[in-house]
Amino acid sequence: MPKAARYHANSVVYFKGDTNDRVYILKSGKVSLNYNDIETGQEIHDIINTGEFFGVKSALGRYPREETAVVLSDASMVMFTVPEFEQLVLQNTRIIMKMLKVFSNQLRRMHKQVRNLISEGKDGLEPEEGLFRIGQYYLKAEKYHQSLYAFRRYITYYPSGKYSAEATRHIEEAEKALQGGGTPASSAGNFSTGDAKHSTPANEELSDTAKSYYNAVSLYSQDNFQAALDEFKKIVQANNSEEYVAKSHFEIGRCYLGLEQYDKCVQHYTQMIKRYPRHPDLRDALLYVGNCHEKLGNPGKANGFYNKVLSMSSENEVIYRKAKRALRELEGAK
Amino acid sequence: MNVDLSMFERFAVNFQPGDIIFCEYEPGDNFYLIQSGRVQIVKILGDIEKNIDILQPGEIFGEMAILEEAPRSATAVAIDKVKALEFNRENFEVLMKGNPQIALKLLKLFTKRIYDQKRRFMILTLSNIEARVADVFLMLAENQPTEDPDQDQRTFSTSVEDIAHWAGMSYAECKKVLNHFAGQRRVEIYEDRIIVKNINDFQRFVTSQRNKQKVE
Repeated sequence: MPKAARYHANSVVYFKGDTNDRVYILKSGKVSLNYNDIETGQEIHDIINTGEFFGVKSALGRYPREETAVVLSDASMVMFTVPEFEQLVLQNTRIIMKMLKVFSNQLRRMHKQVRNLISEGKDGLEPEEGLFRIGQYYLKAEKYHQSLYAFRRYITYYPSGKYSAEATRHIEEAEKALQGGGTPASSAGNFSTGDAKHSTPANEELSDTAKSYYNAVSLYSQDNFQAALDEFKKIVQANNSEEYVAKSHFEIGRCYLGLEQYDKCVQHYTQMIKRYPRHPDLRDALLYVGNCHEKLGNPGKANGFYNKVLSMSSENEVIYRKAKRALRELEGAK
Repeated sequence: MNVDLSMFERFAVNFQPGDIIFCEYEPGDNFYLIQSGRVQIVKILGDIEKNIDILQPGEIFGEMAILEEAPRSATAVAIDKVKALEFNRENFEVLMKGNPQIALKLLKLFTKRIYDQKRRFMILTLSNIEARVADVFLMLAENQPTEDPDQDQRTFSTSVEDIAHWAGMSYAECKKVLNHFAGQRRVEIYEDRIIVKNINDFQRFVTSQRNKQKVE
């Protein structure tokens, strides 16, 4: 059972360096957490407000207290053991959520501080350059599968970046190496690696696949989204033709959109883009993801996707105008 | 962690051995809970692929994405066939409500990461480079408790590269410090391990350096 405790002014709840597994919540009075800032050494006094927890990190992480908790004016608090605290927060996930935000903020700050100290000498790579270098590393190490991933991601994020021409060339190089019977790491369904198992379908099989694909497309055009969805899924499952599998993936997303299953649509396209970063319909997919976010009530995200499409297109393309219109409508809706 | 995750099936994603799950420097917007298979976390430093960690089913990775889309700080590669649950800021609330155990686990993970990062920072604040290397050994000793706490001599199967990395210095610089320590017979350097003859001696050394710095 959590215990109530009273402390007089000027007493100490715990000292820096103590080990115990108590978590406290302040009910009344005033408590200050005193510690030295790790960067400047300056002494910091954090005042705890009533209703706030303290001692959580060191108790949960099972490490020594990093601050001294001093009572400034007569205080009452409730003490929890770690299991008791866990029971409490499991029933009130808002507490966990709040703490997660605080903790991840702290961690982010710590990462930054460490980086600041280290990058004085080296290491301070920009993400764009870093991603490209990783692709190069894997290419050199003849890990083509991994190299392809890194370069394709590079092209997705920096379509007109300073290494985009080089990255495209490396992608071709890596693809060739994989086709040339290099060391193909398993690449289930990865249509552009030319995995022999999938890329040599029998001719009549292909035409069958094509037939069912166009059948599904026609179902879609009759607004029969569910039936179309089922058909496209079958094509993906049968996995007879890489080309039609990739195409069907794109259509599946459109079916979800038609069915107003926006969450699923976003999820599906996210997966698709990951798997086929150079999918011919990539920009359309991004546009649809933007549509979904709009429907889901995330105008900020929608805006981001529309702008991404714009950045990947030139002004005279249809897709550019579509994205532009979507942005205008988004603005108007505010 | 014995919790029912069947309701999260729709968040499941699969990876083949060798697949990159995410790559260092790419923007991160998902985090993962491994359901089956192992995941290796690596960092490419120059021409070396450095193993950071190998994660088992039940473990979480990519968790920094919960708050904001910052570049990934390492690369995650599937070792086996991996099945993982993929979460992002949007569906995280669903996860929280459906399974607060995972959220609690995440909370604990953060407390550990914050502590480790702080400890690392403490090393880097030392201006004396010998003290910095000594403090790396102290940190390693804290993470690898012995049966006999009175024992002075400690063995670490850590490479010079790793020590240089933690100490925030170049390999050459770090090697020089270690050779100096070896000359003083404070450490013995072998191919696969480094022996610190008296860890308490290092402790005293680091503490005195810290106090000196405070006065300055």
